[in-house]
Amino acid sequence: MTDQIVHAALTAPAAALLRRIPGVTFILVGMIVVFAIGNPRFLSAVNFTNIGLQSSLLLMLALPMTLIILTAGLDLSVGALLGLCGVVIAELLVAGWGLPASVAAAMLVGLVAGAVNGVLVGYLGLPAFVVTLGTMGLCEGLSLVITNGDPIGGFTPALENFYRSTVFAVPTPVLVAALVYGLLSLLLYRTRFGNYVFAIGGNKDALHLAGINANLVHTGVYLLCSLTVALSALLLLGRTNSAHPSVAVGMEFEAIAAVVLGGTSFEKGQGWLFGTVLGVLAISVLRNGLNVLSVEPSLQVVCVGLLLITALLIDRNRKQASQNGA
Amino acid sequence: MLANRESPDGGPETMAVRPGRDQGTAEPLLRLIDISKSFPGVHALRGVSLEIHAGEVHVILGQNGAGKSSLIKVLCGAYLADDGVIEHKGRRIAIQGPADANGIGVGVIFQEFSLAPYLDIAQNIFLGRERAFAKAGIIDKAAMHAAARDVLAQLGLNYDTWTFAADLGVAQQQMVEIAKALSQNSSILVMDEPTAAISERESERLFEVIARLKQRGVAIVYISHRMREVVALGDRITVMRDGAVVASYRRDEVSPDEMVGAMIGRSLAGLKRREALAAGAPVLTVTNLQTAKLTDISLEIRAGEVVGLAGLVGSGRTEVVRAIFGADPLRTGVIRLDGADFAQRPDRSTRAGLALLPEDRKREGLALPLAVGENATAAALWRLFRRGWFAPSVAEKVCRNLITRLNIATPGPAQFVRNLSGGNQQKVVLGKWLAAGSRLFMLDEPTRGVDIGAKTEIYRLIDDLAKDGAAVLVISSELPELIHLCDRAYVMRDYRIVGHLGRNELSEKAILDLAVHQ
Repeated sequence: MTDQIVHAALTAPAAALLRRIPGVTFILVGMIVVFAIGNPRFLSAVNFTNIGLQSSLLLMLALPMTLIILTAGLDLSVGALLGLCGVVIAELLVAGWGLPASVAAAMLVGLVAGAVNGVLVGYLGLPAFVVTLGTMGLCEGLSLVITNGDPIGGFTPALENFYRSTVFAVPTPVLVAALVYGLLSLLLYRTRFGNYVFAIGGNKDALHLAGINANLVHTGVYLLCSLTVALSALLLLGRTNSAHPSVAVGMEFEAIAAVVLGGTSFEKGQGWLFGTVLGVLAISVLRNGLNVLSVEPSLQVVCVGLLLITALLIDRNRKQASQNGA
Repeated sequence: MLANRESPDGGPETMAVRPGRDQGTAEPLLRLIDISKSFPGVHALRGVSLEIHAGEVHVILGQNGAGKSSLIKVLCGAYLADDGVIEHKGRRIAIQGPADANGIGVGVIFQEFSLAPYLDIAQNIFLGRERAFAKAGIIDKAAMHAAARDVLAQLGLNYDTWTFAADLGVAQQQMVEIAKALSQNSSILVMDEPTAAISERESERLFEVIARLKQRGVAIVYISHRMREVVALGDRITVMRDGAVVASYRRDEVSPDEMVGAMIGRSLAGLKRREALAAGAPVLTVTNLQTAKLTDISLEIRAGEVVGLAGLVGSGRTEVVRAIFGADPLRTGVIRLDGADFAQRPDRSTRAGLALLPEDRKREGLALPLAVGENATAAALWRLFRRGWFAPSVAEKVCRNLITRLNIATPGPAQFVRNLSGGNQQKVVLGKWLAAGSRLFMLDEPTRGVDIGAKTEIYRLIDDLAKDGAAVLVISSELPELIHLCDRAYVMRDYRIVGHLGRNELSEKAILDLAVHQ
């Protein structure tokens, strides 16, 4: 889709280009204007840093989620898995394992979760919704078993320091998320694996008939997602400086919402990775703006839901308008 | 670029100098011996033997369910044969999956499109073969698009290779599918009804390409129901019936009548024109209809008439019937049924007696995962309620009647419709509207992808409809079919009606003169 937009920019009239931009872009711009008028503090550098920090963790979940949704799938387990990996790292750090070993253990957990999701969906053809609902329950339950439901704290401050650090005034987590975006973008748009992701969502049989092991690629997408989530646990621990078994529960909702906001469809492999960045920004800006305007957190969730539905309506109307041709 | 697979004699040069008539005695490139394949309850292939020679077009003819598709699937590795031997250049081989088939140079142009909608044309053409353009795992897009443009140019096409497959029309998708198979430089190219969805012009291009491929020593397996193509292209012709080979000819040994006779087991007279009936009162009157695409469409159809809607693919024929049916919104215009206005909404249209047999039966005409019975009664549900409750026994009866009346080959109403052959699926769509008691039938390419046996049955059904006083509008890209069926025809070009031809004016030349830009 990025290629198509660049190509359209070079060849097509401006109106056609405008039509390819997802509706969330306009919402995002609109919200920035409204919040800036509502409270000038919104436009401060400190606040932009906040928005970046809030976005970085969500991006780490939403970007690989985009690939899964492109294959006409879904991963409900990302929130619970993030929590579990956080708990595993914290628990092992407290037990004196050292950072590399603890992270390796969390990666192993991600590998197992991704393999379970991937094999069941990719090879056995089970519905992703049900499979990942199952692994979500598993991960959540395991986190509670490991911690007895109590938060874990008192491990190395290195993670919090890393999270708070900056490079040329840009928070390190933002750079990490940008790096992940760059890598996934390269993978999706410039490699065979990326082509096959679009083909699985659009026509898995065609990929199989082209002599490609489509089931393996399908499994790989889930593995990739779970491994990215496992790494993201480092950001989560840095942010909260403690591991709580249920701190990340519900994050799958925002991740999926961000992907859909960005214009990625659950059908036919239609979607756009950069759209997900816009979706994440829209959610973060909304939450941040509501914070600045002192709206209660519980009401903020309501607003994210409303945002999602509004964006869907806008895109539907625009699509209809362009089909009726003017 | 992709490596050229070697032709059996070591290169194209040796092929070119070799006299054509000697090819019959040469070693076949691929030999199938006694191939059998069964599924629970069905013998799809019974001891099929076939020789495929380099530099020849081998046409396979057969009715629905004759086993042509199963044979292709064995060739391309989608099915594993239960029994039999496959020899490649005299050496026994096994085709156990698509990779094996690719390995011996088998390329297939599928009838079911194998494109991924949100990959662009270039990505679709080279799907699974991106390695040729990759450096350190990163695909060189410029090289890939240049190669795609080269392949399309061979077909005389200059599509924008950045277009998503989803944004292409059916005919364009078919051309991309053909380009995809061409780009594989296959030594054996299987084409499953490649002209079913494309215009005459594009077909001509395809035939030129086939001639070039033959010269290069490519073996072509060509499946078609169009006798004109079979005669024009086929060097060898094999006729299948009920999963077995019933006859095999060289081109000069056989007449079309003989081939049709072998296909259906009886001889079929040439296509005479349908007899005209006395036309009754106007059933449908369309005046100055306009939609987002169409301009100024006016037409009339009377009871007992079969009226053609001719024009090239993409001239707006499908849009006209969709607008009349209420599937697309009108801007202006009046549509009257039996002289009275009616609301253009598919649910109202259905009850008012309109029937629409869509161009793409698998997507718009049928619910493939459902049973024959559920599909056949889908438009007539409101008639199947007794005292407010759905009456399964009535539905069952209606459905069994249809199966008998239309001669649908199915074990019963409970059979899944996706397991039927194309011709029988089309009969189910027609049956759906018969059950609904429609009086105005709009048939969009009613015989696309349907073999000759089912075709003649559909012609007979259309004649019966007219005799029963229904009004019929037929869209078809096959001109002989239009001339056979229709009492008169409207011709479209660029989303307008550009002419009307009465019974005596109707000829292939007259239609083409109007339909093609001067």
